[in-house]
Amino acid sequence: MREPVIECRNLTHYYGDRLIYKNLSFEIPRGRILGLLGKNGTGKTTTINILNGYLQPRSGECLIFGEDIRRMRPETRARIALLIEGHVQYAFMTIEQIERFYARFYPTWDRDAYYGLMEKLQVAPRQRISRMSCGQRSQVALGLILAQNAELLILDDFSMGLDPGYRRLFVEYLRDYARSEEKTVFLTSHIIQDMEKLVDDCIIMDYGRILIQMPVRDLLGRFRRYTFTTADGAIIPESKEIYNPGVINGRGELYSFDSPESIRGWLDRTGIPHGDLWSETLNLEDAFIGLTGKY
Amino acid sequence: MIKAIFYKEWIKMRYFYPLSALLLTGFTLYALLRIQRVITFRGVAHLWEVLLEKEVVLIDTLQYLPMLLGILLALTQFVPEMSQKRLKLTLHLPFPERRMILLMEGIGAGALTLLLLLQGAILWGYLATVLPPELTARILLTSLPWALAGLTLYLLTAWICLEPTWRRRIVNILIAAAIGRLFFLSDLPEAYNGMIPWLVLLLAGSLFFPLLSTWRFKQGCQD
Repeated sequence: MREPVIECRNLTHYYGDRLIYKNLSFEIPRGRILGLLGKNGTGKTTTINILNGYLQPRSGECLIFGEDIRRMRPETRARIALLIEGHVQYAFMTIEQIERFYARFYPTWDRDAYYGLMEKLQVAPRQRISRMSCGQRSQVALGLILAQNAELLILDDFSMGLDPGYRRLFVEYLRDYARSEEKTVFLTSHIIQDMEKLVDDCIIMDYGRILIQMPVRDLLGRFRRYTFTTADGAIIPESKEIYNPGVINGRGELYSFDSPESIRGWLDRTGIPHGDLWSETLNLEDAFIGLTGKY
Repeated sequence: MIKAIFYKEWIKMRYFYPLSALLLTGFTLYALLRIQRVITFRGVAHLWEVLLEKEVVLIDTLQYLPMLLGILLALTQFVPEMSQKRLKLTLHLPFPERRMILLMEGIGAGALTLLLLLQGAILWGYLATVLPPELTARILLTSLPWALAGLTLYLLTAWICLEPTWRRRIVNILIAAAIGRLFFLSDLPEAYNGMIPWLVLLLAGSLFFPLLSTWRFKQGCQD
């Protein structure tokens, strides 16, 4: 495995008395695109804030490029592009002013990449960012991220506010850009279909813990939904291998990484009546729901 | 990079700054016009007499103006930083964090100092033509704590703006109000002469208050 660009070890954080997570550890190797998925309130933005040094975890540490994020040198920060949730930027500037401002900080600033994306916006160069639509502001923020030409991109909810066409364009652009230039990307998004097309690996978070961290290809290849007919009122117990089982109108449903044979054996052993056992592979959104539940 | 930081601060202040220069000049000229009116109607000897015998400096209208401009300038500069937590963007720039905040404060304080020097120059330019040097110095020395109040309140307002929680922000406002009061304890001319070094010290100390708010912001303090 390649050397990790991000290493988080034993992160524990609380908001007041509310535990967000305990002993959360993960690594992101160089050149990988990793998506952080989780329901609202599971700690995605908290993790991003900790990673960017804007939140001191109760315990644990995070290293980026081998440096403790709390004491990161400015030169190391220059290697990280950051997209803040809500695509926040200096909205009091125009698209020209903001480009001129940022360009001074980054030695490998790619002006053409920025203006290439800006050409697609129907805005005057002197229009202030605050007077643009939400989607246009998002595109400015993303253009700046790409122009920075950083080694690591941290994108919090990158697809927010983008229309479907631009979202698709950006996902494809980012994927090709990251792969061809060996960029490492750590991102979150509420739109999981986008993640499926983009990410190599995913971390799926539940309240207080990581449910899984694995390559998306493995997840989609192995994780399955099983449906079967069963007795009304049958109760399917949860276990380590069985995710979110349920019975509605005599129809049983569960999710698992196990093979159909293994599930059939498990249903037999636990004495759950079952017929017409059917298994299907899933897309990322369904896999996410299968792992985290609908509620 | 320093140029870029200047550029950003200028973009934030570019409407407010000329406006505040106009306001300050306008009020200063108005105060001087009142003095000129006394000279026109009662003669310069009467003016000298009033200044010597009564405890007045005749430019009291200017007393709170530097403080008001200091507060407004800090709001102009630092509210956009805290709106949507844009300070995250600023602190993520590849520039030492403490230097960044000090530089931002320095740019604002420098800009305000320029305005106050302009005001001082207008006052001195006129007063020196109608008053003896002792009386001119008396008026300028009396107005010096007002200028120091402007600069100190500028820094304290930056401290309040950068504070990430409202609860602490309210405490900071009360502390800033108490500190601000120290500059206006007496209306008597030159009452503060002996205290000027202490006020300068207070001003220098206030320079570091916004760093405390920035540290709290980075700790992730929130309501």
